[in-house]
Amino acid sequence: MARAFKSTPRGFTARLDTTERDLLRGLFEDVAQVLAPGHDGEAPAGEVDPLWAMVGMDPRTHAAGFAAPTDAAERRLLPDAVRDDPEAALEYRRLTETSLRETKTGNLKAAALAMETGNLVFDTAAANQFAQALNDVRLVLAERLELRDEADAERIADMTDARNVGDVDEYLALLYNFVTWLQETLMQALLGDL
Amino acid sequence: MTTATDVLPRGETSERLDLDIPYVLLVWNDPVNLMSYVSYVFRSHFGYSQSKADALMMEVHQQGHSVVATGTLEKIEADVAAMHSYGLWATFQRADQG
Repeated sequence: MARAFKSTPRGFTARLDTTERDLLRGLFEDVAQVLAPGHDGEAPAGEVDPLWAMVGMDPRTHAAGFAAPTDAAERRLLPDAVRDDPEAALEYRRLTETSLRETKTGNLKAAALAMETGNLVFDTAAANQFAQALNDVRLVLAERLELRDEADAERIADMTDARNVGDVDEYLALLYNFVTWLQETLMQALLGDL
Repeated sequence: MTTATDVLPRGETSERLDLDIPYVLLVWNDPVNLMSYVSYVFRSHFGYSQSKADALMMEVHQQGHSVVATGTLEKIEADVAAMHSYGLWATFQRADQG
């Protein structure tokens, strides 16, 4: 049974059992997969031209057919930065999307690695990074659960008992609530230390 | 023989002047991000006090969105990228727009 995050002299600590860690590791890896270029018919990651790499740019985002992601979960992770102006949003995306994918993927991979042990101990920077990974997992689960408004949120929040799980959506809701609980305890610990 | 062009024609300086116009960063409500998380992000990224962060968070929650930061285009673009890495739904626009 998981123990909530708390702030201690050693850092931010929590305890997770093997099943919980396996579940979370799977979720972190799944979301990293959503962010991998090429998973959704986009240009796959190929060899990066050293000149592009040198200026920190990605030729894929400057290619003629470059567009915002079509997968809803991926789009929620990489949202438009300009409202009601697709052209300006795409321009911003060209310059920032690769870096945002890398940041998020790095957070998720670090979080997956942290699942190697049941006793989590994070310094503030690592706790911050873990919180971002948990949040991205929640965003993707929420998209799969079609969580759109507060009423949906209340419906999903009721699913907290594994014995009541009857279908995939109920299972996803259970996972969502577990990740939400863990993130909330981490937030209370981090906020208490600010 | 050649001479260096001394100045840009007057009409071509408008883009430079645009840099002086402030931009705003808006954060939009969604039913997923935790209230505690949104407050935490506002405090840790922008360095806002607890009361300011909580007030902005409540504005997002109740009004649907809030102007969370104002600054040059360059600063606001970087702040938007940071908000997206946290998973908040942030956009930017010129301060004199809607």
